[in-house]
Formats: sequence, structure tokens, C-alpha cells
Amino acid sequence: MDYKIKKINDYKWEIEKDEKYDMRVPGIIFADRQLLDHAANEKTIDQVINVATLPGILKASYAMPDIHFGYGFPIGGVAAFDEDSGVISPGGVGFDISCGVRTLRTNLNIGDIKDRLEDIMSTLSFNIPKGVGSKGKIRLSKNQLMQLLKEGVDWAIRNGYGWEEDKYFVEENGCMAGANTDFVSSLAMDRGMDQVGTLGSGNHFLEIQVVDEIYDTGAAESLGLEKDQITIMIHSGSRGLGHQICSDYIRVMQQSVIKYGIKLADRQLACTPVSSPEGRRYYGAMACAINYAMVNRHCLAHWVRTVFERFFGKSSDKLGLGTIYDVSHNIAKIEEHNVDGKLKKVCVHRKGATRSYPPGNKDIPDRYKSIGQPVIIPGDMGRYSFILLGTEKAMSESFGSTCHGAGRLMSRTKAKKNIQGSELKKELFNKGIIVMAGSMAGLAEEAPQAYKDVSKVVDVTHYAGISKKAIRLRPLGVLKG
Amino acid sequence: MNLKRIGKKYRYIDHLSDIGIEFYGNKLEELFENAGVGMFSIMCDLELVEPQEKRNIKISQKDTCYEDLLVLWLERLLYLYEVDDVLFSEFKVCGIHKKGWNLVLTAEISGEKIDLNKHKIKIAIKAPTYHMLEIKRGDRYCNWKGRIIFDV
Repeated sequence: MDYKIKKINDYKWEIEKDEKYDMRVPGIIFADRQLLDHAANEKTIDQVINVATLPGILKASYAMPDIHFGYGFPIGGVAAFDEDSGVISPGGVGFDISCGVRTLRTNLNIGDIKDRLEDIMSTLSFNIPKGVGSKGKIRLSKNQLMQLLKEGVDWAIRNGYGWEEDKYFVEENGCMAGANTDFVSSLAMDRGMDQVGTLGSGNHFLEIQVVDEIYDTGAAESLGLEKDQITIMIHSGSRGLGHQICSDYIRVMQQSVIKYGIKLADRQLACTPVSSPEGRRYYGAMACAINYAMVNRHCLAHWVRTVFERFFGKSSDKLGLGTIYDVSHNIAKIEEHNVDGKLKKVCVHRKGATRSYPPGNKDIPDRYKSIGQPVIIPGDMGRYSFILLGTEKAMSESFGSTCHGAGRLMSRTKAKKNIQGSELKKELFNKGIIVMAGSMAGLAEEAPQAYKDVSKVVDVTHYAGISKKAIRLRPLGVLKG
Repeated sequence: MNLKRIGKKYRYIDHLSDIGIEFYGNKLEELFENAGVGMFSIMCDLELVEPQEKRNIKISQKDTCYEDLLVLWLERLLYLYEVDDVLFSEFKVCGIHKKGWNLVLTAEISGEKIDLNKHKIKIAIKAPTYHMLEIKRGDRYCNWKGRIIFDV
């Protein structure tokens, strides 16, 4: 595609609205020159343009600085649609519905675990269900699964997993409204039945990290973090249940686009009006998958607590294993945003993008009201992860959204060809990072070299003002599926 | 098509975020079988998977096309792999035919329960996608060609 790019500032670019491609709105890309060139080379901008053609899209088709080529929607894309005239698209959420990150703090210091890291990692590896074909420790009946899908984290707490206060530090307080199990297929139920509390494979991970740098001391205090403190990061999603729900509804929407006369540039963009019966059914099923994903991370955190309790011989309470925050980066939600000076209900799609709500927002926990919502950015296993904070500018510039991670640089096949998993493991060991992985080929695919530098990505969001740097975390122990 | 590729069942396609395959067949049934082989070879070393467990599959879908039937077929294979913990290595598509307004596929597949020590597991596939999905008539070297991208 040929398109015109206009520089708005060093960190924001506009793809001008072009009727030749049936664009309804312009594209907005948050990137520096280098990241922009990268997106242009890999044809990701074509995908930003394709999203801009969908009915009822508001303001712009947005791309975060970690944007990369996906299928249909780009990964790192944000699009908001009018609740009355716009559409909802399962492909705009992704197969791993509510894939996201939870971070726990501890009151341990790097000195407390440095010499025992390998043992802790082995114990975690043994106790955390992960990888291909993994089944969870929780066996559910169909009725129990239906309760879980309706109630989210409340179900888990009622059944003895995690702490009551955890839920206040999960997006939507751990329970997504509108979940309706009538709209979840039996195939999806079957796949979800015994995967609660499993990590999965691919880019999912569990890491022991250390606070490496503090950019905002006031925020660090609210987050309960100090330099050299140990934290734990869990990156996982809704597993087979979410994948099946997405597959089921992409099929439904192949018919919807014919029924409602929607023209698509890519079949994976299949969608339906938000207010249509098909749209309401998908939203109800997606909300179930969001609840499942939040419970999944909640139970993984529970296993982490039990391992730490046994290992250190203290209760998780005494170890200070509280939840900092839990936030999704593959999601669609009805939210209220200011559009042309009026507050409007819109359906925001974040595919590889994270909510970034500002200080004072009603939907963030009291503890963080003065600093803004914690935005957790998982990086690659050799460099850093970050905790950012939501901003007012994100509300006006990107429908309250920011980046979600580093973004891929190298395809999986190329990574496997160029990198040996076992060599990588040794290399990271020499850097003081212990890696436990089920598959060496899988590990090579997730090598740091296969990703963009996450520090550059978060810098762009910081300077563009759509999130603010607070904490940098460095990995010490990495568990991969 | 490159002459060297004759007789090959599938080949990988490079995709930045995910993995795709192009697959071939002289008959439509063979094309679908080879898509199954390609998908499971992304997940594990197929030579190590013995055909011990058999499953029969019947898919019947109204108002559909070959591409959509292919997605359904691969989704069904993924479902069985995940729910029954079986990696599949042999795929016999007995027939693909029209019945009224429906397209019907019948198949027999076999594989082995996942054994992490035995099977060289590579990566799990989340789902087949519609992105760049294609089934078309081939050329003088093979009658049918297909392409699919998986979310991993």
C-alpha cells in the first residue's frame, strides 16, 4: 500500500485518511523514527489502515510503539467503536482472550534469594503446571466451571485460592460484568475444564524479578516497592477456553459480515455490530474468558505463594506476597470516553495493548488513586520488564491505552534457525539469569534477540505521554512452558 | 511450483508473529491430510509419535467453502489433542463431499498420548486463523495447494 505519513511530533505520526483504501479515520502511530521504519518495513501499517476501514471506528486506528505484524489486526493495535453504529471483532481481541500480567511484591531482598535461586526455580518448575499438554491441579465439574466463568476471582477466593484483598488489585475487581455462559460452546467448556492454574507455552512465563531502577519514588512507595526488592511476574491468559471462544465467534462473524453488509480487507477482521444479537453473544462469551484468564493468573499466584511458604518456612502474609496489579492486554470492553467533547459509551479493542487509566479514575484501586493505574509491561527474558503508570493524556490520545510489551523483531522460524536454546540458557546463566524451559526450541523462539528493546518501547510511551515510567524490573529466574 | 517440492507434503511460511504452512495434495482429501501433518509437525517431532490411539471424525457444515471446512478440520484436531492429550501423526481423510447444502468431511486419525520424555515437543498452537487463508487449484505438479497461518 502507498500511504502518506505526517509527523505530528517525535513520538507520534499520522497515516492520513485515504479514501482509496476506504479509510473512515486516519491511523495514529506512537513510535520514534526507528520503530516507525520497522513497522513500515514489515507491512504492519497496512494492517493499521485495514482496521481504519471498519464501520463505526472513532477518531483513529491506533498503533502502540511495540506494534508488529499480526493476523488481521496488528499486534499493538487499539480501536474504539461507537456502541450504536460500530462493530465488535473477535480478531481485534485475539485468540488468547485476556492474556495479561499479574505482579506480586515480596518483602524479600535480592540478598535473601541470590544463593538459593536455582532451588527456588526448580521447586517452582515442579509445582507450576506449564507447557504443552499441561493439566491443572484443579479438577472442575461443568457446573463449577460455569460458576467460575460468571464470578471470576470471587469464585477462586470462595474456594480457598488466594486472598480476599487480591481482587481489588485486578482490573474490573476480578469479575467482568456481562459474562453469560449460555454463549460459551461445549467445545470451549471441554477445553477449559482442567486448565485452570496452568501457564501454557509460547510467550507465557513466570519470572522472579528484582527492582532494578526506580524512576518515580512517590509511585514506588504507593506500589510498596524499593530498590533490590524481589517481585514475581506471571504472564498467561485464558488458555484453550479463550482460544475456542475466539474460533467459534470468528466463524459466527463470517456470516455476520454478509448479513450486515460489512466489507472486509482481511477475513480475520470479521466483525458484527456491537448491538447485534451476534455482538451481544460474543461479548457475553468473551467476558467469561476474561473471568477465566483472571482466575488462571490468580491460581498461578496461589501456587507461587504455596511454594514460597514451603521454601522460606513462613506464611505468604509474612513474606509480603501481595498483589501489585493484574491487567489484560488482549481485550474488548465497553468504556466511557470523551469523543468530540461528549462522554460516550464505546467498545475499545486492545489487541496487544494495555489499559492506562489516569490518577483519580474511578476504576482503579484506592491505593493507586493518586499515582494512576499500574501498567505492567512484560519484557524479554534477558533484559527488563516495567511498571508504568496510566495518564490523563492516554485518555485523550489513545482511548486510555498504552503498549503491552517489547514486540517481536524476528520470526519464530528465523529465531530457531539462528539461536540454540541450550546456548541461550548458558548465556543467560552467565548473566545471572536462571532459565527453566520445557522446550529448548520454544526457548530459542522467545530469545531476547527475537524482540525489540522494551526500554525503547516504554520510552516512547513515556515521551508521548500515554503512560509514565515508574519502575524497572530485571529478571533473575525465568520459567517457560 | 518448484520441481524440488514435488512429493513434499507441506512447507513452513515465515510470519513475524506466528507460523504458517503451505501444503499440497493431488486430491482434496490429501490436501487436508497434509494440512494436519503440517500443523502437528509445528508442535512436535512427528516421527516419534506412534499411531496407537484412533479417532473417527465427521464434520458437517452448512453453507460453507473448502477454506472454512479446513479451519473447522484443524480446530477439531486441536480440540482432540487438547482434551484427550493426544498428538496425532496419521491422518486419513476418507471423503469430502457435498450433501444437500452441507459439506461433509469424514476422517480417521491416529496418534499417541503426549509423553514429554518421548515426544520432542516444540510449541503449542492456539488456533488456525483466516489471515491469508487460501485453497486453490495447483499446477501441473500437484492439483491442490493451500495456505494457513496459525496463532501460537
